[in-house]
Amino acid sequence: MSLHAIQAQYWAVRDYLSPVLRESKFKEHGRITPEEFVAAGDFLAYKFPTWAWETGDAAKARDFLPPDKQYLITRRVACLRRATSLAYTDADEDAEKMLSFAEEGSAGDKEDEWVQTHSGRKASEAASPGIIEDIPDLDGLAEGPSGIDQGIGNLRLGDIPSTASEAPPNLDDIPDMEEEGLEEADDAGQAPVKIEPVQVAKGNLLQVRTYDVMITYDKYYQTPRIWLIGFDEAGNPLTQSQVFQDVSADHAFKTVTIEPFPHSTRLSAVSVHPCKHASVMKKVIERMNAGVVEQRQHASNSSSPSGKGGEAGKKKWLGVVRKVTGGEKPQSPNNADDDSDGMRVDFYLVVFLKFIASIVPTIELDSTTAF
Amino acid sequence: MPVVQFTPFSSTVSPAFWHALIKVKLEVQKLSADALPIVASYSAGRSIKDRETGADIPLNSNLSVLEDAFHPKEQTQAPPGSTIALGQFKNFNTIEEFKEADKQALFNSLAEEIWTSITTPGDDPSEALSRFLLITFADLKKYKFYYWFAFPAFIAKPSWEIRENGWALASTSLQAVGMESISESLGSLKSSKSSKSQPSFFLARPVAGSQTYDVAPIHTYLTFFKEIPYSQRIIGFLDPSSHPQSPGWPLRNLLSYIAHLEQSEPANSLAHPDTLSLNVLCWRDSELPRGGQDWKSLLGVVSHVSSAPMHRPSAVGWERNSVGKLAPRLSDLAPMMDPSRLAEQAV
Repeated sequence: MSLHAIQAQYWAVRDYLSPVLRESKFKEHGRITPEEFVAAGDFLAYKFPTWAWETGDAAKARDFLPPDKQYLITRRVACLRRATSLAYTDADEDAEKMLSFAEEGSAGDKEDEWVQTHSGRKASEAASPGIIEDIPDLDGLAEGPSGIDQGIGNLRLGDIPSTASEAPPNLDDIPDMEEEGLEEADDAGQAPVKIEPVQVAKGNLLQVRTYDVMITYDKYYQTPRIWLIGFDEAGNPLTQSQVFQDVSADHAFKTVTIEPFPHSTRLSAVSVHPCKHASVMKKVIERMNAGVVEQRQHASNSSSPSGKGGEAGKKKWLGVVRKVTGGEKPQSPNNADDDSDGMRVDFYLVVFLKFIASIVPTIELDSTTAF
Repeated sequence: MPVVQFTPFSSTVSPAFWHALIKVKLEVQKLSADALPIVASYSAGRSIKDRETGADIPLNSNLSVLEDAFHPKEQTQAPPGSTIALGQFKNFNTIEEFKEADKQALFNSLAEEIWTSITTPGDDPSEALSRFLLITFADLKKYKFYYWFAFPAFIAKPSWEIRENGWALASTSLQAVGMESISESLGSLKSSKSSKSQPSFFLARPVAGSQTYDVAPIHTYLTFFKEIPYSQRIIGFLDPSSHPQSPGWPLRNLLSYIAHLEQSEPANSLAHPDTLSLNVLCWRDSELPRGGQDWKSLLGVVSHVSSAPMHRPSAVGWERNSVGKLAPRLSDLAPMMDPSRLAEQAV
């Protein structure tokens, strides 16, 4: 039995033995109960309808979650560039930008900001040795990103690269069975091939991958856990090493691994290991709570223009949470209590996704920027 | 006038589907090579804002087959914003059979089915119009799956043409009010039981005295548009294309259906025109625009000189592989499924 199999067995046993978290701990430890996971998932799916609950394989259902709410999934999340193609330089290190969770324009409130590094970075396709081989040799296109952009705009039928018709790397095994006679030639009137070049250029040069992203509940770590299944621009599943191109260098091969997906019998997927999720989430929640509370005080004490911005931010933040949770949790009779508590647990997954977005920076997971 | 060009459909096969296939192959189908019904889904094309350049990157929606593809269609829920497409699945037992299969015959029989549904008076063809074919060979020992999709679409002769000004944003002519009313009504015109799914095809007409629109399923064309002049009739479909000047593949069969209806019912409402002109709404707003975004749906006036081919037109639609050839594709799942490969990676 391989080391991995033993390890997997160990995890299974450990998972089986660990008790289900019953007590709400999310503010103290960053961990959540299954009930809170469901509540946060409901909120996420309500607010961002691209997320939906899945039942998964019935044989793998976890009894502490409702049968129809085993895990969350969103499909076809775009990933325009490879994380490995983001070139980091010292200059980028200096380009740190404070990100604010509050509404844009609530100036001067430093507490609820966090640091986004490399905000000024530009993708440099050429900087990454890993992806060059995937870029087709498009004759007649200028080198470099700007040339490519222009090239896309100018592509016409005649520009179909002759080299692109050579076999791509992973199709060696496909039996040679091209059947040109299959399609009638007189579809010229609506020739789809005329559209092809744009797609080829868009797909290969920008390499728009898509990801199916799943969020499960990890019983042992008592946090959500993220799973990724990627597809290349042609719709083929990505290999593990290809997926790692979309993981920031700090995390690839360390916290991001490939493991059996818990709600399927055979499927494996790339996952961010949840061992640090709770502590990171705790820090983020603390920071946001402090920000929200301070913002509220700031807003009530000040009528200056910047105060108005803060007030708007707060209203949006708390109002949205309250609207959704109203039916599920006993509503605090006093709204002021809500406010001073800071973040509600329903918001957990939205925040969690922001955190995950830092690990997979080029996967456009964070559709929640509207907040 | 320029000829309407349709963005070809492409497919995405979820690895979970291959798992389902293994199960079906080993436990249900065994050595039989009978065709099975299969369910897939597609949604509206999207555009993604590139945070680095600020450009909008169009992203077509693929027809995706998921884990529940072999479930009966009643039990299948389209993912949010998607619609269901029904297909025919045929697995071959050996690579030789797969290679030598009479693909044209399979394709033609499916096209015939679609045509029958189009030409049967009173039939609701909405499910037939987006039917597809999937042939596979599963190399279970190596976790390799050879597959080929076909999306039969009828060729119109003469071709449909689009007005000189091309496809324009629908919101400029229908206004936000009109768009919202269509979006709302589509919710009540579900293609399946899933509350968040979208209908694949629909009709829309203006409500007299307001800026809003009524929608109806396509098989009610003759009654729904009875008193409506052609200039106000809107034919809509959920558009998997995100291309600004090229609607998605499902429109082809929808146009064939409408053209056939027009020809077979010459007595309907207004004087039958020589040139059939239709407003086509490429619906790409399964999510309401938020945060100052624009509506994405396109509207265009397409026309076509009526002819009278009462026999089945020829159809096209085999999916091309990633280099644009008419050839099958390969999905190699060994890295994700093969226990020995997984063990190597896990060290």
